[in-house]
Amino acid sequence: MIFREVEDPDLIAKARRGNVEAYNLLVSRWEKRVFNYLLRLVSNREDALDVSQEVFLKAYQSLPKLDDPARFSGWLFRIAHNEAFSLLRRRRPETELDGEPRPADLNPRLLPMELSLAVETALGRLSADQREAVLLKVYQGFKFEEMAEILECPVSTVKSRLYTALDLLKVTLAPMHKTALRGES
Amino acid sequence: MNCNSPDTKPDWKAYVLRELSPDAARQAEAHLATCSICHEEVATLRLTLDTLSTLREEEIPRRIAFVSDKVFEPRWWQRVFSPTFAAGALVAVAILIHGSLRPGQAQVDAAITKAVAQVEARHTEEKQAMYEVYELKEKQVSNMVLTSAALIR
Repeated sequence: MIFREVEDPDLIAKARRGNVEAYNLLVSRWEKRVFNYLLRLVSNREDALDVSQEVFLKAYQSLPKLDDPARFSGWLFRIAHNEAFSLLRRRRPETELDGEPRPADLNPRLLPMELSLAVETALGRLSADQREAVLLKVYQGFKFEEMAEILECPVSTVKSRLYTALDLLKVTLAPMHKTALRGES
Repeated sequence: MNCNSPDTKPDWKAYVLRELSPDAARQAEAHLATCSICHEEVATLRLTLDTLSTLREEEIPRRIAFVSDKVFEPRWWQRVFSPTFAAGALVAVAILIHGSLRPGQAQVDAAITKAVAQVEARHTEEKQAMYEVYELKEKQVSNMVLTSAALIR
């Protein structure tokens, strides 16, 4: 017998017919990616977990409205984006933090875990829009057009946010470049 | 291809992010082979992306629970032996015994209020303990980073 991995559109079709197990499998495939995206966006594990839960519940309820099952990932991240920004809007006064140590002030000879923390801090210095553009492109691998759909904005806006973010990260992460290279070798 | 004018300069960010069309990418690569300034710009962009890729992916703390997910509902014996259920059951039994000995409605109400308060207090304590453990963990990581940085210096 030849085992073939069930594709997402097949699972979506089954879930639409009320097959809960099919939806559970979809959740298990996507939960880690959605959680990590939300974690970097809202910067709090408990909030990221709560929002992830909400995202998958809303996705299940809205599944009949998904026009093209082949575009499930973009659709799911659009729900995640809406939920995350809804949370960020509610707690805006707390999210505007100043006075954190700048990544450029950190010692350039960092251990892998410290490097990861430095990247996390550098991402934290970006605006929420810029950070989200980096998360969707660099960590989730979406194309510009897909990002524009998720963020409901023109491709030019997506590029502008992402390019500005990369310029800022290029400067703040410059001291860490050598460490990143050493880690690869 | 000319990199002196912003209008004709290749979009190097789109290039490193693999967003250029195959034709545009080929033209950009041909220019890259002959221009040291663009070569350096692309190298820096790639280093930035490499550094970004060192960000660790976090494990999800617990599985996403799906409301109508019967598979992940605890079995009856798991519910019976869960601390919250056991505490609740104990309180319920106490209320019943108390009620049978002293059947006054006011006393029963008071007992229920007290029991509910106890269960809620227990929940609050458990939650607080969880947050304390998490804060302690965060402090430890932060101290480790500072110590390592100091040692390297």
